[in-house]
Amino acid sequence: MEKLSFEEALTRLEEIVEQLEGGKLELETSLKLFEEGIKLSQYCQKQLQKAEGKIKNLVKNLDGTLELVDWEGE
Amino acid sequence: MQEFLTVSQLNGYIEALLSGDPLLVDLWVKGEISGLKVYQQSGHIYFTLKDRDSAVSCVMFRSRARSLKFRPEEGMEVLLRGYVSVFSRQGRYQLYAQEMQPFGLGGLYLQLEQLKQRLAAAGYFDEGRKKSLPRLVQRVGIVTSRDGAALRDILRVLRQRYQHVDVVLVHSSVQGAEAPRELADGIRILNEYAGVEVIIVGRGGGSLEDLMAFNSEDVVQAIFDSQIPVISAVGHEVDFTLSDLAADIRAATPTQAAQMAVPELMVLEEMLQNMQARMGRALLNTVAWRTEALDRVMMRRVWQESPLIKDSIRSLNELNVRLARAMQDRLGQALKRQEVAGAALGNLSPLRVLERGYALVKAGERLVRDVDRVEPGQVLQVLLHNGELEVEVRSRKKGEHGEVEF
Repeated sequence: MEKLSFEEALTRLEEIVEQLEGGKLELETSLKLFEEGIKLSQYCQKQLQKAEGKIKNLVKNLDGTLELVDWEGE
Repeated sequence: MQEFLTVSQLNGYIEALLSGDPLLVDLWVKGEISGLKVYQQSGHIYFTLKDRDSAVSCVMFRSRARSLKFRPEEGMEVLLRGYVSVFSRQGRYQLYAQEMQPFGLGGLYLQLEQLKQRLAAAGYFDEGRKKSLPRLVQRVGIVTSRDGAALRDILRVLRQRYQHVDVVLVHSSVQGAEAPRELADGIRILNEYAGVEVIIVGRGGGSLEDLMAFNSEDVVQAIFDSQIPVISAVGHEVDFTLSDLAADIRAATPTQAAQMAVPELMVLEEMLQNMQARMGRALLNTVAWRTEALDRVMMRRVWQESPLIKDSIRSLNELNVRLARAMQDRLGQALKRQEVAGAALGNLSPLRVLERGYALVKAGERLVRDVDRVEPGQVLQVLLHNGELEVEVRSRKKGEHGEVEF
């Protein structure tokens, strides 16, 4: 699951919710889906906290390399 | 024998005179285009420039015509820069145009309109190729002036919606001769860096001339080529810029661009919580539906008659109870893990929750969690995010909204 993007995880989660709500599944399948869904939503919630609130300036050096430098603005 | 000149000598002499004149070697002339001929093969353009009373032949060679930013048309009023010289073969002087532009602000609009049509025909503005934003954007790229009000507006709104959003800024001038190249470079550099999920390119409002960089082909090309979705955010006094048309999403102002760029963290969190609740309900329904079905089967008389079957039913019932209990345990565990994770999410102080329209109800120092512990007539305190109300209980009704526990 670590390799899923938020978008992919969320899409899969939506599928699971719909399947569960459709109510046509075996009990065991339902439970498995439920557990997968819970894991997915926890994963998504963790992803939400990944940003760090940083502001950086991206500059291109003369040799063509890119560099992130601190932004002394605001 | 009188002295004489050949025709060539005469024309050569006049040509020398003209090219020695400081005004005629480099001058601007305004006039209306007439008799326009564009030679496809050579690429040279021939026309007559005229006003009400007068006319002069003009030629613009391909090397110069190539850099024209508009398409000359019959009857168009233009401002032309060039020099005057002699066309020896016919013995007449003409204007050799070096550059040319449509005259006046009307000309600017015209130039813009023509560029727009050309880019539209080439598919630069096709809706079909526009990218949509991912639902979670945590890293925003911005190409604008680091000194502009636009940047401050964008940063402020981004923070409001998503406190921890990361920003990667590429500074660029937003007007003047360097602006088109710098803006385009900014978009390209962010693509090369590839660490942002969306790019906002823009500036605050201005006149048509101020916004011209956002009408440049260079910027349109960079937006078109971008692998990352681009939101154009140009404050508007005019209808559009070409950047708006090329961008995946157009915002009317930098503030609006920031609103479009990132989701509200709280909305995403609520959406996830909501999906968890739906899954829990769906699963319980599945269990309940099966239990009912089983009960219906068991109620049939045939099962009630044989002692052997009665025993079986009893043990089946026990199994059933155990199954239900086990199921609830599993559910409970899953939900508890979920709760722990939810609590760890933190950052949702009670006050933030109240801001969303929830209230806390207190009886003195005690938090009210149970309707049974409140009597009609009792005075309670209701805490909202910005103050407290004192209310009197008129009546009590239990379980209207159902139990929340699983």
